[in-house]
Amino acid sequence: MNFNQPTHPGYEQFTQELSSLISLYPPPFIYVNDVQSYRTTTSVIDDILEDLSERPPSLESPTKIYHARIDGVASSQWGLDREGDDGTRWNENLDSFLHGLRALHTQLCKLGVEVAAEGTESYEGICFVIVVKQAEILKDALLELMAPLPCLGEMAQLIICVVFISQVRRKDIKPPLGAAPEPYFMDIGSPTKEHIVKHLLSQFSTLSTTDASSSSQSITPYHPSLLPLYRHFTSVLCDVCFPFTHDPQDLAYIAVASWPGYAKPVLDEHRRYLAAKANEMDLDVDGELEDGEEEQERRRQDALALKPPGEDTRMRLTRLFNPSLSAALEVLLPRLSNAAEWAALNEPPPDLLAMPHGPPLRPVIPAAAAPSDITTGTANAPVGTNSALMTMGTLPRMARFLLVAAFLASMNPAKSDLRMFGRGLDEKKRKQRRQVARIKSKAAAKIPQRLLGPAPFPLDRLLAILGALLEENDAETRLPAPEFTIPGEYTDMEIARVGVLGLINQLTSMRLLFRTSPVDRLDGPPMYKCSVGYDSVLGLARGLKIPLNDLLWDPV
Amino acid sequence: MRLNGTLPAHLHPCVTAQKRAMLRSLHDVGMTTNDIAYQQLTNLLTGTLSRGEGNSCMVLGPCGSGKTKLVERCLSDINESPIVLRLSGWIQYSDRLAMREIAHQLAQQTGSSFLSNVDDVTESFPHQEEEEEANPFLDTPPDAVPVTVPGISLPPSSHLPALISILPTLARPTVVILDAFDLFALHPRQSLLYCLLDTVQSCRASPSTKGIAVIGVTSRVDTIQLLEKRVKSRFSGRTFRTAAPQQLEDWVKITKTVLSSKCTSGDHDNDDEWQILWQAAVDKFMSAKTLLNALNETFSITRDVRMLKKLITMVVTHISPRSPYPLPTHFTDAATLQRARPRFPFLYTLSYPALCLLIASIHADTAGHPVFSFEMLHETFRDQVRTSASAPIQINGGSIGMAFEALISAKIFVCAAAPTTTVVKEFIKYRCVVERDEVKKTVDKTGQINLKKWLNRAQ
Ligand SMILES: Nc1ncnc2c1ncn2[C@@H]1O[C@H](COP(=O)(O)OP(=O)(O)OP(=O)(O)O)[C@@H](O)[C@H]1O
Ligand SMILES: [Mg+2]
Repeated sequence: MNFNQPTHPGYEQFTQELSSLISLYPPPFIYVNDVQSYRTTTSVIDDILEDLSERPPSLESPTKIYHARIDGVASSQWGLDREGDDGTRWNENLDSFLHGLRALHTQLCKLGVEVAAEGTESYEGICFVIVVKQAEILKDALLELMAPLPCLGEMAQLIICVVFISQVRRKDIKPPLGAAPEPYFMDIGSPTKEHIVKHLLSQFSTLSTTDASSSSQSITPYHPSLLPLYRHFTSVLCDVCFPFTHDPQDLAYIAVASWPGYAKPVLDEHRRYLAAKANEMDLDVDGELEDGEEEQERRRQDALALKPPGEDTRMRLTRLFNPSLSAALEVLLPRLSNAAEWAALNEPPPDLLAMPHGPPLRPVIPAAAAPSDITTGTANAPVGTNSALMTMGTLPRMARFLLVAAFLASMNPAKSDLRMFGRGLDEKKRKQRRQVARIKSKAAAKIPQRLLGPAPFPLDRLLAILGALLEENDAETRLPAPEFTIPGEYTDMEIARVGVLGLINQLTSMRLLFRTSPVDRLDGPPMYKCSVGYDSVLGLARGLKIPLNDLLWDPV
Repeated sequence: MRLNGTLPAHLHPCVTAQKRAMLRSLHDVGMTTNDIAYQQLTNLLTGTLSRGEGNSCMVLGPCGSGKTKLVERCLSDINESPIVLRLSGWIQYSDRLAMREIAHQLAQQTGSSFLSNVDDVTESFPHQEEEEEANPFLDTPPDAVPVTVPGISLPPSSHLPALISILPTLARPTVVILDAFDLFALHPRQSLLYCLLDTVQSCRASPSTKGIAVIGVTSRVDTIQLLEKRVKSRFSGRTFRTAAPQQLEDWVKITKTVLSSKCTSGDHDNDDEWQILWQAAVDKFMSAKTLLNALNETFSITRDVRMLKKLITMVVTHISPRSPYPLPTHFTDAATLQRARPRFPFLYTLSYPALCLLIASIHADTAGHPVFSFEMLHETFRDQVRTSASAPIQINGGSIGMAFEALISAKIFVCAAAPTTTVVKEFIKYRCVVERDEVKKTVDKTGQINLKKWLNRAQ
């Protein structure tokens, strides 16, 4: 077949299969299963259909193809969201949708007769292709459509091909009792590293054509001369990132975030070179003119053009940026930050290549994305780097005590409270659970609470632990209050304040605490759960000078 | 006949034409087993169309045994053109939806509106539920509000008998096809079925009325028992059975017929030249041992012709000018892909963190915890990284969380308990649906020694 299709590295076989199916005579129902590069596949299918529908009917595809992608049963692309002649809306439910399709078909057939009259004798009617992306969502949202949708063509008495695209297996979203016929399956394998490199390279050319129009004065990282460097960059990027994700779009995102920084030293170098040249040129501008204006101008342009950097520069850049690429992956893959912020934060210092060779650049992690141990592997990162911590930093002191108490109540077994917080005569004789050597036994090993997640606790237990914490860690900071004579009396007063209950409600509304018992339950104390993780609480506890690890029954 | 050389360029159009001819004939496979049903249904329709009889029957057969095909074929083979009302239990899941659809289809085929009839009556009943109270909070008077009233405007069910009784009075006979007939029996009081069958039963041939036939199509064998007594007593009970082909030879024949379909590319000489090459290729294909085995195996598992059609389709789509002939290996590949459906075909291409999580889940299972949370797996994983010297990567970043989510969205990890709002994401409980030896095979396939060692420790 000689039509030029958009190329998608790795999708050649799929493109051939799908387009020949659809253009020749589509099966009623196709199921495209793709686990890893779902978004790319969706856009590939869009491109294939776009391409097919633009083709005039020919021997190779005798039907005129119309396609639409739907997320619900509404398609503004076909105008199916408008009203039929009788005032019913076509996307109201499935049978009005079918009416809409049929009306559309008659309408298009009239057009088609004209097309056929223009001499393409191979015209054979109209084919609708309906693409349902993320078909698994349909199962939850519109289960009643799962059975009839695949038979749309049979019901509308038209040639309709329904294409489901999904990350999950058909088995998982099949309607019960064999209500729908089995689809024609097409599985998309995971893209290989080479395919992704090709994909990234094809993006470079689209980006550089869009900025070719801009003046040559402002050279961007997508200047065509940088393509060889970019090729090198993408293969390094894929070496670093491919084991972690096979999604071409994710890798493209990381590439977009990292490339400007990677290319900047080269551009800086070029700019310095231009500046130097400009000085020279200024000097000999009225020198030898006999060369002929054109020739000279051409040579001048040549000398000023951006040239791809040499091998050693490439190696040096790779060494400089390697750590920053893997850090970018860790931050950008979960979208803890965005590409623009990453690029701005990690912009290398100016004229990096002119500096003496130094160690690799240290990646700068955006504040919101830095859990306490992301790079250092320890819990020593400064408080306030985590976004949750940042909100907690603004909480009143008592609220912070409450959170620490809630965390302890969630993590420690209730039976341990006396041992952990009881203040006998011999202080500091807390007995933590001894780290028992793991004996291999048939019985399931007990899982520490911190892995199981917080357990619910009653309000009075929270208040009791709070009291113990305040008594030990807060007493010194209080104003002198001579009216309290009995030990612990001040603390008791503190925790009995209405304010504490108010704070608990506030923390619950912030979802830092979860209330697990219904609000209107009268019997029994209200139950809560702490929803804040260990790292954050550790930060809070440090600020309050509470030795958190000493108070945990099962220390980390 | 040489079939392995490259195809000369002037024959390339023939390849496309051939593919098209085959795909097209796939849609029109002749049915051998349903001849009797065909005859019975044709007789019944003839009675209704030419003698004005009222008839009812049921077409019963397993899924994919050609019921729909049979009905359509009978209708198109008959000379007269009746009014055909096509309803499906899947779409018209209530009698009122069905009524609206009947009115719509009648209007399409007769040119006169029956919905307006019903609408007129609707308006004369101000107490109808569709009637909206005038909203005192609206600034604009209700008339100015556009007609896009939320909800579906349906005819009231009280008009059902009137609507159905119109059918015999129309200018042409009527054929009503009820696909998924059993679902109509689930409608409250089976009013639609009652009205239809009652009209059928009381239909008397007379110059002023035309015949009516009601054809129920279903694969549920107990459909008759679902009918209420008053409905059942009006139903003729005639049942026409369809069946899928019962012999392997039928499948062989279907395959051969489809592949041998004649094509025209526009140039007769080329066509003739191509035909000879192609026929030889088909003969070679049909006599291949691998093909017969694959056919036999598939046939012994499913009698569904639609499966055979999918397999042939896949063979056809693999044909191209570069590889212009059908290949038995494509057929066996298709059998794996379309029929056997490997459980998780792409497990081994999962990202590295995802594989690690899979192994961690196997470890959790071995430790007696088939149900796990992200935190549990993450801990196992960190331990592994800490203890193994060949720790491949730094592993504290976000990619492991992303891998966990990827496994959830691929439904490899499935929720073990109904999600509640009071559980933090990291602690939601999941189960792994991939079996241990599937994981083992996968890890073997990736060839990562450290992963293999780690997995082997889970005994
Ligand atoms: N006995 C048969 N011989 C040859 N082909 C058959 C036979 N039965 C079914 N087929 C093929 O299978 C296809 C599906 O048939 P059809 O849709 O009519 O089945 P159905 O009984 O209506 O299925 P469902 O119960 O799912 O509605 C038809 O296109 C037909 O080509
Ligand atoms: Mg059917």
